[in-house]
This record gives sequence, structure tokens and C-alpha cells, in this order.
Amino acid sequence: MSKAQTLDSFRAEVRRWCEQHVPKGWREEEANASSEKLVEFQRQWRATLEAGGYLAPHWPRELGGADLSLPEQVVLAEELTRADAPRLALYQVAIYNAAPAILHYGTEAQKRRFVPGIRDGDVWCQGFSEPGAGSDLASLSTRAVRHGDVYVLNGQKVWTSWAKHADWCFILVRTDPAAPRRHGISFLLMDMRTPGIEVRPIKQATGAAEFCELFLTDVKVPVENLLGPENEGWKVSQSTLASERGVTILELAERLHRNGMEGLVNAASGWHAEDGTPLLADPAVRERLGGLYGEVQILRGLCRQLIDSMMGRGGVGAEASIIKLYYSELLQRLMRCAVELQGLPAQIQQPLLMSAGWETGNWLNDYIGSWSWTIAGGSNEIQRNIIGEQHLGLPREPRAPGEAR
Amino acid sequence: MSERDDLRAMVRELLTDRSGSQHVRAALDGPDGFDPSLWRTMAELGVAGLLVPEEHGGMGAEFADMAVVLHELGRRVVPLPIFSGAVLAATALGSCGNPDLASELLPEVAAGGQRITVAIGGPAGQLPVSAWAVRWTAEAGGVRLDGVSGYVLDAPGSDVVIVGAAGPDGPLLAAVDSSVTRIEHQPTTDRTRRVGRVVLEGVMVPRERLLTDPGAAGALIGRVQRAAALAVAASGVGLAERVTTETAAYARQRNQFGRPIGSFQAVKHTCADMAVAVECSRVAVDQALAAWGGPDEERAVSTAKAFVGDAAAQVCADAVQMHGGIGYTWEHDAHLWLKRALLDQALFGSSSWHRRRVADLVLPSPLVA
Repeated sequence: MSKAQTLDSFRAEVRRWCEQHVPKGWREEEANASSEKLVEFQRQWRATLEAGGYLAPHWPRELGGADLSLPEQVVLAEELTRADAPRLALYQVAIYNAAPAILHYGTEAQKRRFVPGIRDGDVWCQGFSEPGAGSDLASLSTRAVRHGDVYVLNGQKVWTSWAKHADWCFILVRTDPAAPRRHGISFLLMDMRTPGIEVRPIKQATGAAEFCELFLTDVKVPVENLLGPENEGWKVSQSTLASERGVTILELAERLHRNGMEGLVNAASGWHAEDGTPLLADPAVRERLGGLYGEVQILRGLCRQLIDSMMGRGGVGAEASIIKLYYSELLQRLMRCAVELQGLPAQIQQPLLMSAGWETGNWLNDYIGSWSWTIAGGSNEIQRNIIGEQHLGLPREPRAPGEAR
Repeated sequence: MSERDDLRAMVRELLTDRSGSQHVRAALDGPDGFDPSLWRTMAELGVAGLLVPEEHGGMGAEFADMAVVLHELGRRVVPLPIFSGAVLAATALGSCGNPDLASELLPEVAAGGQRITVAIGGPAGQLPVSAWAVRWTAEAGGVRLDGVSGYVLDAPGSDVVIVGAAGPDGPLLAAVDSSVTRIEHQPTTDRTRRVGRVVLEGVMVPRERLLTDPGAAGALIGRVQRAAALAVAASGVGLAERVTTETAAYARQRNQFGRPIGSFQAVKHTCADMAVAVECSRVAVDQALAAWGGPDEERAVSTAKAFVGDAAAQVCADAVQMHGGIGYTWEHDAHLWLKRALLDQALFGSSSWHRRRVADLVLPSPLVA
């Protein structure tokens, strides 16, 4: 069979699977459901994907992954989106961030210990940001002091997604306060049941509360849970951030096309201007939607091309930042357009959906939620620095007095 | 794939030697507005005949190969009469229903001999046939053409104009000797492309000079217009890419307040936005090339023309600003970049028109809505 035929038969296989297994009516069920119900729904969907073999499309087969090629991953994302499958939000960090970091930097013992757990449904969260260290992540100050065979952690983390439900946290801590900023940081794998961890949800601008604060008081993490060398956690963290900005975006781009753009076109077909004429009869509206439609197609192509080039090179560069920047700002512009076009009806409060991205069709929620993408994972201002410095070779800003590298 | 890389390397090397800023400026001030010896070399290398079938002396290459050349020419804002013959005339004649005419004119295109252009717009360059001002009427043995087509690329200096004309039974395309028309140069602020008005007053065209049956050229005209739009977009990506590289290089070496201006976020972030615009433009053209000849061709080409047109214009505008005072001088090339980008943005359908084309293809009809 040719590559294209193989891909076509893979598509047919996924499509058949989706018809049988993607839950129907989940949007209605999720509307205003309790957080326990949402988590239960996510667990079920994870188990369904795992049974189908689609849980970890990018993992090697010996670890229980599907070992799909990039074109196959694209097809999977397209078909899941086409079938309006829920997004596996609760497990994103485990599958797309924790696992790649452990596979890349972990010892054999760490791989044996943590990867099967991730495959079997451990929820992970990411302890990076701190109240005083947002975009300037390297200024983090949560301390870990080594006493014998444990690190003792004290400090505070913030914007930790799904911490309330997490089994594990990978956390950046300062192990050498005397070293230059990026050289005194270590990357630890922390059991969330360890005494001394207090989790408090943060209610966000949307009203949802999947992000949390972590308060750490004398939390003991075994030294064997150090990932990568001590004081070299910065490097490890950059690879997981890059992965965060990389492959998962394929699915988000498909969702932005299918649920965002096509969803908006469908919805707008029923909207009217102030004078009662159909909105889509207005040439200015048509032009705006035609422009956005084209841009969403460009985003889809951009994701495929740049991820392909990153995989070919085996490293992540400024491409991930280019994708993150373009995706998040396009998402924001599309949702803003939807809110403006819908008029006052867009202002009516709508339920939040957790198993979707920010392209739920509740346009105002989606618009407000879009800032989680323009700010999180390295704000877009930081992404522009990365593109300027790594892609165009522009010099870094001079450091402030007293600010070491 | 690797042949295409070779083609790119060959053209880039040639242009590095012969289309530096001083060459471009000298060519613009010369009698033809371009460098005839460079054009001869390009023709000898086969570039003019890339889209011409092999049986007519061309290379029979794909549009994507031509796009590589246009990209490289765009990088250096090279003034050359390549669009008119090698892209537009080659596309029109290559798929026309008149094999004799194709056999006569396509070898001229491939050899860079007679200069052939295509007039497929209204007086203000409008693409829709409904806005055209050249009309045809049936006469014994052929048709009579009257009217004006404006902003016709490379019309000044052309030998043959393939004229699009509207009529009661639909449009046609006719190959007309430039000598029986009146061609008026329309001097544009951008001098790297030359456009002109083609005026036809009672021009009689025998049937043998028609590319299709009278009234049956609608599909062919659409294809040539899409080729034009895609060609301009491919050239725009090259321009935007080069301008971004040059601007970043300037921001690295220009010092103010004791440090390179590229270390200031106000400058760095603008450069980053330019780089994103270049990447997205590149993807838009790649997608249009991939869709060329397929069912999604029209949507993908209009998306590329609109997106790249605006992106390149913005990149070039930002480049002037990032260069500061030197970017506002005649001596610096920044104004050449910007003027080319602004002309291209308006040429072969505005961004706004192309976005509405996309809308018409993907949205419910306004009448149904």
C-alpha cells in the first residue's frame, strides 16, 4: 500500500472507532456539572481512548503508546475533532509534559516507576510558576534543602492546573541559592499525597477553578525523585515547556478549525443585523469571516510544517514559539469577532465546559478564556523575545544591576 | 524536491551576482526599466520556459518550480518582465483550445523572444469580467475589440497582448499585436514593475487568434487570474523573508543608548511579529501550491493572495520604521521594498476582494442567509 492509502485506511479506522466510542451529548452533561463529575467523565474518556489505543499517539509502542507518525497524529486529531470528541484536559500534563521529560531525562528506574503510572491514569500537574516568578520563571524561590536522602521543600507555587486532582507534580525548586539564577534550579517529581502540601483552587476570570495554588511546608521528596542532574532543572523544564507548545497544538488547531471557525460560520448563519437583515448578507462581515477562515487554514498548515521540521531535527526551537503566538492570538481574534458579531445575545451567561478548549461556541466564555493561552506557558511577550533571540539572533536585553544569569 | 532546491540555488546565485541593490537601481534608470542581459540569461537557463510544455521548447515544470523563481526574484525586488510572459501568457496559452496559436507563441515565451502579456482586468484592474471595459462583438471571420484594460503588467514594451474581452455570450481571450493597440505606460510609485493601459479601438481579430471559442474563456480567465495572484503571493513571501532578515541584521548592529537596538523589546517584538508573518505567508503559499489544480485551488489561492499581500506590506512598513532615519532615505532600499509590497497588495485583486472570494466559497450564500 502507498503511504496515502495507509493513511486513508488509518483514517477510516479512526473514524469507525470514533462513531462507536465518542460519547454523545457530553456538552449538555458537562454544563455546570460538579467538579467530581467532570473528573469522573475525564477518567472514563481516558479509559476509552486507552482501550482504543489512541491515548498516547506519540509514545513508542513498548510503553503502551501508539507510535504514530506525524501524518497519522494529524489524522487522529482531525478525526477526534470531527467527531466532536471531548478534550483529555485532565491528563494533558501527564501525557504531553511529564512523560516526555521522564523519557528524555529519567533514569531507567524512574522510567520503570513513573511511565506505567502515567499510562494507567495518574494525573500530573506542573509546579513552575510562583507568585513572584511568572514570565520571569528563572527567578523562582521555592527552596529545596537536601537532608540525607530527602529534599525538604518550602515555598509556594501558583497556576498549577488540576492540582486538586493530581497524583504527582513535577516541580521546579531552587537547590543552590548562591548559583547564577538558572544554574541553581532542580526538577523534582513530587507525590501529591506527601504531608505538607496544601492545595487551594484559584477562581479564574472565567469563573472556573482548574488552576490552583500550592503551599509547601517542609515537604519531603526522596532524592531518587530528582529528574536530571541536581541544579540543571532549568534545562529539563525548557524541554517540557517546549513540548507544551508543540504537539498538543495539532489538536487545538483542528478544534479551532472545526468547532471555532466552522462553528462560528454555522452560528452566524442564524444571526441578524440591527435592521433585521441576515448578518451574512453584510459584505464587511463576510470579508472578516473569509479572512479568519483563511488564517485558521494557515494555522493548521503552520502546525504541521513546523512540528514536522522540529521532529526531523530532533529538537525544539523557536518554531514552538511561533506556533504558540499565532495560535493564541488567532484564537483571541476569532472569539472576539464572534462576540462582536453575535451582539447582545453573546452577553447572556453560558455554562463552562471543561472537556473542550476555548472554542465551545459559548463565545464570550471562549474569548475570556483565550487569555489563558496568550499568558500561560510563557506569555506572548516572552515568546516574542524567544523568536527575536533564537530565530532572528537579536541580542538579549542587558540584565538589571544585581541580576545574575 | 532536490531539483527544486538546485533551481533555487542557481537563481539565488545568479541574482546575488547580478541583482544587488546597485544593479536593481541601474536597471530601473535604464531605458527598459529592467536589465535585458539578465533577462536573456534567465531565458537561457530555462527560467522563462518553466511553465511551457516541453514540446513547445519549455521545461514542463510545475507551478511550484516557478514559485521558487518568483520567491527569489521577490527577495531582491528584481525588475524583470517575467510575470507577463512566463506566468500569465504561459498559463493562458498552455491550457487554451487553440493548438496552432499555442505552437506559435509558447516557444517565444520559453525563449524570452517576443514579449507577450495578458490583459485580464477592467480599467482599474478589476478581476470580475462584469467590471471589464473591453468588449467584443462578432464580425465576419472573427471579432472586433473595443475598450480599455488598465494596470496591465509589462504592457509597455510588449509585442503581443492577450486581451480579455467581455461580451453578451461570455468572455474571450484574443492574441493581439501590440502595434494595433495603443499602450500607455502608467508610471507607478513602485518602479520595479511596469504597468500600462491597453486601449483598443475597433481592433479586428481573426478567429485563429482567439484562445477559445468566443464566450467560452471564463474558466481559462479564472485560471490565469489565480496564477497571477499566486505568483504575486510567492514573490511577496520572498520579499517579506528578505526584508525581515535585513531588518534583524540592522537591529543587531545599530547601537543606540549604548546597546544594539534589537535588544530593546519594542524593536525585538516588532521583528518577531515580522518573522511570524513570514512563516505564515510561506505556509499560505505552500498550501496554495499544494492545492493548485485541485478542488480547493480557488480558496487557497485567494487566502494566500490576501494574507501575503497584507503581511508583506506590513513587514515592509515595519522595516522602514525599524531602520529609523536611514530607512527614510532614497539611498536605502527600504522604500523599494515598501513600494513593491504596496503595488503587489493592490495588484490582481485587493486583499479585501480575495477575502470576500474566500467567504463566497466557504460561507452560505448571502441570498440564502
